[in-house]
Amino acid sequence: MKHFSYLLKEGLKNIWTNRTMSLASVAVLLSCLLVTGASILFSWNIKIAMSMVEGNNSIKVYIKQDVPALKAIQVGDQIRKLDNVATCDFISKDDGMKEMRKMVGEQNASLLDGLGGDNNWLPNAFRISMKDLSKYKETAAKITSISGVDKIYDYQELANKLTHMDKIVTNVGLVIVIALSLVSLFIIANTIHVAMYSRRLEISIMKSVGATNWFIRIPFLVEGMTIGVAAGAIASGLLHFIYYSVVSSQGISAIFNVVNLNAIMVPVVILFVIIGALFGALGSIISISRYLKKEGGSIAVL
Amino acid sequence: MIELKHISKTYPNGTHALYDVNLQVEKGEFVFIVGSSGAGKSTLLKLITCEERPDGGELTVNGQNLIGIKRRDVPYLRRNMGMVFQDFRLIPKMTVFENVAFAMHVVGAGNREIKKRVPYILGLIDLQDKGDCYPAELSGGEQQRVGLARALVNNPDMILADEPTGNIDPALSFEIVDLLSEINLRGTTILMVTHEHSLVKHFQKRVVEIHAGRIVADTKELEEAEL
Repeated sequence: MKHFSYLLKEGLKNIWTNRTMSLASVAVLLSCLLVTGASILFSWNIKIAMSMVEGNNSIKVYIKQDVPALKAIQVGDQIRKLDNVATCDFISKDDGMKEMRKMVGEQNASLLDGLGGDNNWLPNAFRISMKDLSKYKETAAKITSISGVDKIYDYQELANKLTHMDKIVTNVGLVIVIALSLVSLFIIANTIHVAMYSRRLEISIMKSVGATNWFIRIPFLVEGMTIGVAAGAIASGLLHFIYYSVVSSQGISAIFNVVNLNAIMVPVVILFVIIGALFGALGSIISISRYLKKEGGSIAVL
Repeated sequence: MIELKHISKTYPNGTHALYDVNLQVEKGEFVFIVGSSGAGKSTLLKLITCEERPDGGELTVNGQNLIGIKRRDVPYLRRNMGMVFQDFRLIPKMTVFENVAFAMHVVGAGNREIKKRVPYILGLIDLQDKGDCYPAELSGGEQQRVGLARALVNNPDMILADEPTGNIDPALSFEIVDLLSEINLRGTTILMVTHEHSLVKHFQKRVVEIHAGRIVADTKELEEAEL
């Protein structure tokens, strides 16, 4: 135990002696973890948005605001008469508001409190489905030509846009993450190499008196892992800060139920720290084995 | 203790360092290894410390065959050897005490053991009052004595000294070899590489001369031949 604390201290001392390089390593690894976290959160939120949209996976026909409910129902009869229309259900202004409250979730429902009754700006609408979707365009044109119909809203288009955006972010994120992880491994390995080089006298003495390679390695492993743990901890904190800044400033949380990062923060921090430590360890091991095989393999000091 | 049979060594760059070297050193012997620079003296020491591997032949140290020794066993082999270097190799930011203690620390000695053993060893080399000094505050001779203390502190069976007097005043060189002789009297085998003829002449020890990678003279063989 005594030796372990000694080695730990030596490892931490290395970081301080070598602070510019250590800082650079932390910064790059941190960016890598941050981009990873941000991409995952983005994707996750898109999936939530998608599932909401898919819940409305039908075509909605909005009736003009100035058409009263009774007249609107007659418009519905006309729609039902069209060949390609399979179902056509009336959604009154009030039903629409209920659905809206459900969609934004319990937390945000209070935002819609003032919009009941006469203040409800939602139009009367019909939810329709078609027998043959390939004839969508012609049927849609026929529906819009019926007097009283305002427009047709098809959520499929929105869903496609979201999926497309998700794909771009995931792919770009993946490329950035791979590049950054390679860069961070390279920088950590270099930092450790510099640390080993600056301690080459100690290493040569350790070898000459018969210290095992593991004993020589541990301080540098500690150094690399500390860099990784620091990067992981800072990255998770920053991710939390940035996420909530973006979500609240863009008013995104008012539109739908965003991923609740607060609730999963503990596992996120642990995961980030573990990934950081693994990266730090890997970077050190690459450098240590290279050093001990080459220049450090000999007792002679360079 | 140390036995080399038909040992040759060629470095990857093609340099032939040793040819068919045969040497036997018994426990408790004091051997000077002499020869001009590049003759192969240092290579000989490196083979014994397992820093280099021979091309062929038989090499036994402390009854252990070094030809097939595994990398992970090398540190344990070295714990029986104390190495002394021409450039002292003291860590500048550590005191004399810490420098000696470092050697114990890295092979896993406990603090209590270190506190007992280091002052004893410093007394042996007559530097008991300099424990808190830094290497830069000592003379070359004193620094090498610290180097010697570090080599001795883990109680090795043999001391391998590579030109230990190469960087210190000739007058003080005798002091170092005197110390080595004293250590030798306590039963530690000594192998000292040097090219200082005055030392070799003054201390009547076994002398092995290497020239161009071959042993060309060995006073022990001469004595045996005369008998």
